[in-house]
Amino acid sequence: MRRLYSSLVDGRGFDLCLIGIPLAFLIVLSGVPLVYNVVMSFQAVDMFSLGSFIRPWVGFDNYRQLIAQPEFWPIMGHTATFLAASIAGQFLLGFALALFFWLNFPGASWLRGLFLVSWVMPGLVVGAVWNWLLSGDFGVFNFVLHQLHIISGNVFWRSDPAFALWSVIIANIWLGTSFNMIMLSVGLSSIPADLYEAAELDGAGALTRFWTITLPMMRSSIGALVSLGLIFTLQQFDLFAAITAGGPNNSSNVAQYWAWDLSFKQYDFAKGAAISVIMIVVVMLASVYYVRSTRHEVRG
Amino acid sequence: MSETTKNRLLLVFALLLAAVYLFPLYWMYITALKTGSEMFATPPSFWPDDPQWSIFPFVFQLKGMGQFLWNSTVIATGSVALIAVLGTGASYVLARYRNVWIDVGLFLVLMLQVLPASLMITPIFVLFTLTGILDFPRTAVILAIAAKSMPFFIVLVRATFMSVPMELEEAALVDGNSRVGAFWSIVLPLARNGILVAAILIFMQAFGEFVYSKSLIQEIELQPSSVGLNAFMGPNTNEWNRIMAFASIYVTPILATFVLLQRRIVSGLTSGALK
Repeated sequence: MRRLYSSLVDGRGFDLCLIGIPLAFLIVLSGVPLVYNVVMSFQAVDMFSLGSFIRPWVGFDNYRQLIAQPEFWPIMGHTATFLAASIAGQFLLGFALALFFWLNFPGASWLRGLFLVSWVMPGLVVGAVWNWLLSGDFGVFNFVLHQLHIISGNVFWRSDPAFALWSVIIANIWLGTSFNMIMLSVGLSSIPADLYEAAELDGAGALTRFWTITLPMMRSSIGALVSLGLIFTLQQFDLFAAITAGGPNNSSNVAQYWAWDLSFKQYDFAKGAAISVIMIVVVMLASVYYVRSTRHEVRG
Repeated sequence: MSETTKNRLLLVFALLLAAVYLFPLYWMYITALKTGSEMFATPPSFWPDDPQWSIFPFVFQLKGMGQFLWNSTVIATGSVALIAVLGTGASYVLARYRNVWIDVGLFLVLMLQVLPASLMITPIFVLFTLTGILDFPRTAVILAIAAKSMPFFIVLVRATFMSVPMELEEAALVDGNSRVGAFWSIVLPLARNGILVAAILIFMQAFGEFVYSKSLIQEIELQPSSVGLNAFMGPNTNEWNRIMAFASIYVTPILATFVLLQRRIVSGLTSGALK
């Protein structure tokens, strides 16, 4: 007993205790649900058997039925569009802003930090504000586009099937640009200045320096950021709930919203779980890449 | 062009960029202050003719926002407390050692962070129903958020612990301190700032959390503001000034905290996430 106590206070037991309890907590509340999801996707589940593990095993039937649904491929397509457009938009705008603020004039770092308010706001509030900005008849976004002669009539962002997904994408780009900018700024400031001086002496122009120094030096930050962006974007749920709710007629529905809708609105838990498993595989691949990109760490 | 003029021009351009980027926030506050007819005017007015300050107390009363905000605060405080207690120790161990097991642990923690909440909610719902935790819905949401956000906390705080020199702790051990004593009186105080920043970020996240609260809390008097706001926005609403007033009341404390602590939050965030 005394040895146990002294190990807890002064030895290995201390470390094991500190790491063991949180890990156990995470395994119970994240690991077990994950496994449960995978198991459930191979079973026939209804409202009454939701609480028991022993359920008829149906193999890949849930997946087959899911893929056979007419909305499956459109929704997967929307998910891909949502991912690609959001990540590209956030990254390119964020990179442009980071490069601008890298000029390091007085006040740059304070102003740059201010941008991050878009990222700390509750997703529901961001969604509500963009829902109003993108309103068809009275939205100020349409007004601005009209004044700039980009559109001639009003665009019904949320209710026109051709634009509903894009209204969520616009809001999501706004939300994530600042985070991308901050992270890219860190990468930019870690490039040694003498590299640029040397290149300038050798007569390299601004564009050459960007292509031959900035981009290659930023490779691991960019890799980490894009995979992090993939993870965040696949988690985006609040904006869908606040702007379009997946509608009209699934034209802005994506996998993560559909899975929730199937489970909690239509009580089709098995299909919801099947989508989860498909998405989890994608997310896992992204995070393996993220972990690999962030491994160049130095003990400070 | 002299250096000062150049700097001034850059600053003006930066302010312009910030104004464009933060316009949605401005529009939220301005819409809240407009009258019902001014809100739908074309062309829209960019400054309210007759600011309706009374809309804030009115919406607060009408929607019972006191209770919503209180629930958000309870949920956020509970989550932060649980995450800080469990996560700080874990990040300390993950920062102090380097071996295969630590790598495995770190990888596990990162993996658990990436699962979308909207997918994990069904099994969590089942788990909480079976164990009876669902009878205490706010506790259930706190547990779910803690599991979801703890990895993020660990990633940030681990970076802080990495920057605490190990020699200090070793010196304390040589001087006869126990491991617990050295951790408590040397390492923790040195890492305090990083832990605080991470805790604030977690608080903001939990204060705005939606998926778990929406799915786990049925009783309206236990729901947080995010669910309240969602219920307020029906599909064909035209009460936009009231919704924006709700959103303003909800988000202003977060924005104020952020602007006050901006420098620290940004540096805490950048030291953890990409290193």
